[in-house]
Amino acid sequence: MKSALLLTGLLTMQSVMAAAPPKVSNGLDPAVVQSVTLKNGMTVIVWPKHDIPNVALYNFVKVGSRNESPGITGLAHFFEHMMFNGTAKREPGEFDRIMEGQGASNNAYTSDDVTVYQDWFPKTTLSTIIELEADRLQNLAFVPKVVESERQVVYSERRLRTEDDNQGKLMEQVQATAFVAHPYGNPTIGWPSDIQSWRIEDLQQFFKMYYAPNNCTMVFVGDVQPQEVFALAREHLEPIPAQTPPLPIRTKEPEQLGERRVTVHAEAQTPLLQFAYHSLAAADPEMPALELMMRILAQGDSSRLHRALVEQDKVAIAVDNFWQEGFDPGLSWFFLTLPADGEVAKAEAAFTREIAKVAESGVTAAELAKAKSLVIADFWRGLATINGKAQQLGSYAVFHGDQSKLFDAPATYEKVTSEQIKALAAKILTVNNRTVGVLVPVMGEEGEGP
Amino acid sequence: MSAVQAGESPVVGVRVPAFERVVLANGATLLLMERHDIPLVGFQAILRGGALGDAAGKWGTASLLAGLLEKGAGKRNAYAFADASAAVGGTLGADAGLEALTVSGEFLARDQALMIELLADLLQRPNLDAAEFEKLRERQIEFIRAAKDGDLSAILPTYGAAALFKDHPYGRPVSGSETSLAKLTHADATGYYRDQVGADRLIISMTGDFKSADMKKRLTEAFGGWAKAKTAAPVVLPPAKVAGRHVLLVDAPGAAQTYFLMSNVGVNRKYPGRAPLDVVNTLFGGRFTSMLNSELRIKSGLTYGARSQLVRPTQPGQWQISTYTRTDATVQAADLALETFGKFKQGGGIDATALDSGKTYVLGQFPTALETSPQWARQLAELEFYGLERSYVDGYGPALAAVTMADVTRVSAEVYPAADDLVIVFIGDAAKIRDGIKKYGPLTEMKLTDPAFSRL
Repeated sequence: MKSALLLTGLLTMQSVMAAAPPKVSNGLDPAVVQSVTLKNGMTVIVWPKHDIPNVALYNFVKVGSRNESPGITGLAHFFEHMMFNGTAKREPGEFDRIMEGQGASNNAYTSDDVTVYQDWFPKTTLSTIIELEADRLQNLAFVPKVVESERQVVYSERRLRTEDDNQGKLMEQVQATAFVAHPYGNPTIGWPSDIQSWRIEDLQQFFKMYYAPNNCTMVFVGDVQPQEVFALAREHLEPIPAQTPPLPIRTKEPEQLGERRVTVHAEAQTPLLQFAYHSLAAADPEMPALELMMRILAQGDSSRLHRALVEQDKVAIAVDNFWQEGFDPGLSWFFLTLPADGEVAKAEAAFTREIAKVAESGVTAAELAKAKSLVIADFWRGLATINGKAQQLGSYAVFHGDQSKLFDAPATYEKVTSEQIKALAAKILTVNNRTVGVLVPVMGEEGEGP
Repeated sequence: MSAVQAGESPVVGVRVPAFERVVLANGATLLLMERHDIPLVGFQAILRGGALGDAAGKWGTASLLAGLLEKGAGKRNAYAFADASAAVGGTLGADAGLEALTVSGEFLARDQALMIELLADLLQRPNLDAAEFEKLRERQIEFIRAAKDGDLSAILPTYGAAALFKDHPYGRPVSGSETSLAKLTHADATGYYRDQVGADRLIISMTGDFKSADMKKRLTEAFGGWAKAKTAAPVVLPPAKVAGRHVLLVDAPGAAQTYFLMSNVGVNRKYPGRAPLDVVNTLFGGRFTSMLNSELRIKSGLTYGARSQLVRPTQPGQWQISTYTRTDATVQAADLALETFGKFKQGGGIDATALDSGKTYVLGQFPTALETSPQWARQLAELEFYGLERSYVDGYGPALAAVTMADVTRVSAEVYPAADDLVIVFIGDAAKIRDGIKKYGPLTEMKLTDPAFSRL
């Protein structure tokens, strides 16, 4: 009903969609999203959406592997595990048992920049979930036996993703090589020796500083009313004392003045090539242009790199890419998987040639229109679920300082020009600005596992 | 139910929204569900057959054909075809599964006419170019090699199916093996298309921001004149459960972890005890606090994850426990998995509290599996493919609420094998683990680098 959607988001607004059947409407209305900052500095954002009787709660904690240093790499990720492992009030395992017993599931992820805790639950369990979250933020326990057990679990995860996975193994080396100063060079999972030597004292200090309520943004999306969420937040979350804000990361990565290379010899059948370029921060005004450029280069079978390297030159069987969107300027990556008898030098030359074309000649109008369409369609796909909405809303709140910018996103992509992309490519996609990783297969040699 | 608070109506599950079903004269089935939450239209198109239609020894034919369907159709060559959907932000892809070829896609609502044109061309007028076939075949072989250099837990099930089902069609690798792909020719792919693709095999499930009457008209125009397939869809007989212990060791020298599964034949999609089975399997190995994950991850830290899974195709598929652990803890983890399974089989581990928790969990998570249009498209297509009624969805909530301890006991006994009747597959550093795992049963060995997934 139009009249309901026009009401501005005041704290006293009653959502008229509460009792009505699911609405059919195109478009999103930013006005239904409401947000409050508690007295202790925690931000709480609510997007009511009543299509299914479930809620997604994403807590964005502003801590990631960029906040680590030698000796404590991997600690932010370890916390992602430890946050489920018991508090002063609840035994290890109780958190999950209570949640699952009430129809809820949970997970979490850690990146270079943030640790995000995710809960998916039926609306009827809202107060229980908020109380559980408040408990673990305030009363997390560090039981030595549990720490030791979870240390081994994390090491198993490292083996799965890095030691037994050649793309992961190479990526860790490329990332550490690309950054000579900034802590983005730290692997989020942590170096093996650091994983083995974290102390309880490290955990306690880290927790106090980074898991303060003023460092958290909680996003609720789903079958809830903003008012009921804010009331429960005031009751359970607001009493948690604020802490001194963490010190900002002061280190800026100096400009890279020449190509860097790293080689990994590993048990493998297929060679791998990775290219990482120093790139942009999430809030950089050029980020929409970067995204469009990256999609033109490697998204789908009609992309430049797929056509040239996979279909025409046949120097690779797959080309993928990824660009970091964090607080500081990150990396833009390209991953080439070669056939077993592939020639690395030939693939590298073909890749370098194709990339140089964008700096020299830019992109076509058709390519730009295509990338914009892909972005818009993916924008809608990303918002099809309550999870997707929570992820997007939280990302904009945390990395852009304002969740309502999510709704402006389509317009910012529309404005990007071919000239912008050409200029960006000339600035970023240069040989001097890249780190090249090569995985050289060796077969039949003694492995180097722990 | 514990999910209910005073004054709230109980969570009773999910009901299938209104949709229309149309069967065309040529046997093609159309399923249409309008949803207007976001301006997208999506579809799931299924052709019965899939890898079941591969000729003996020619595993991967359906898979390559699926890739080839995308490489140019109608008036468009491979590049133009890929560009046509990308240019408007649409997605369109074809894939082969064990029992069906699937084409799925999603476009902005304004581009639905183009979407239907591309889908119709792909299915009815593919170019099936010989040079494109060769490229796909060579790439597929390389993808298998690349997969063996990556996360071995992803490739473990392929070895598991081959070891469990042996000559039965469910044991074949859907994407092929290096050996089988080397033998495939363009004629194999075109032959499959000629014989096994046609209107009577087709289900199109369309969901999203369209008008049903209009969409029905467009689809009928596009597909109503299509011929039937030359042959009837392949029929598969039930596989035999395995008796005794059989152990396969796949040597991955230098692996930091061992990846293993333990399996036998389970149930099919129409198994009448679906609701109690879902609860039982969740409690045994289907959620974080399950028996398996509690023992192998939470309490012992041996692994990042341990689970129990069921594959439920037309005939009974595999049930398997799967996990991984550091190489030197292989025997410890396998012993613990067997011990936990034994306890489960003897009736320990699931009491009334656990049962209530399991029911609440499965029901609480259910709505999130049917939230989006693509999820509904898949669900409707699945109901049609397996010949299931709407009650499969509508009745699931009430069926979960009605599960009793007697159901739990019955299902645990009839679906899961005895611990003495297991096919066990280990992928790991054979030099380090071979001796320790001999105790689990008669051992067969092969190498990860062998070009097939079994020693048949």
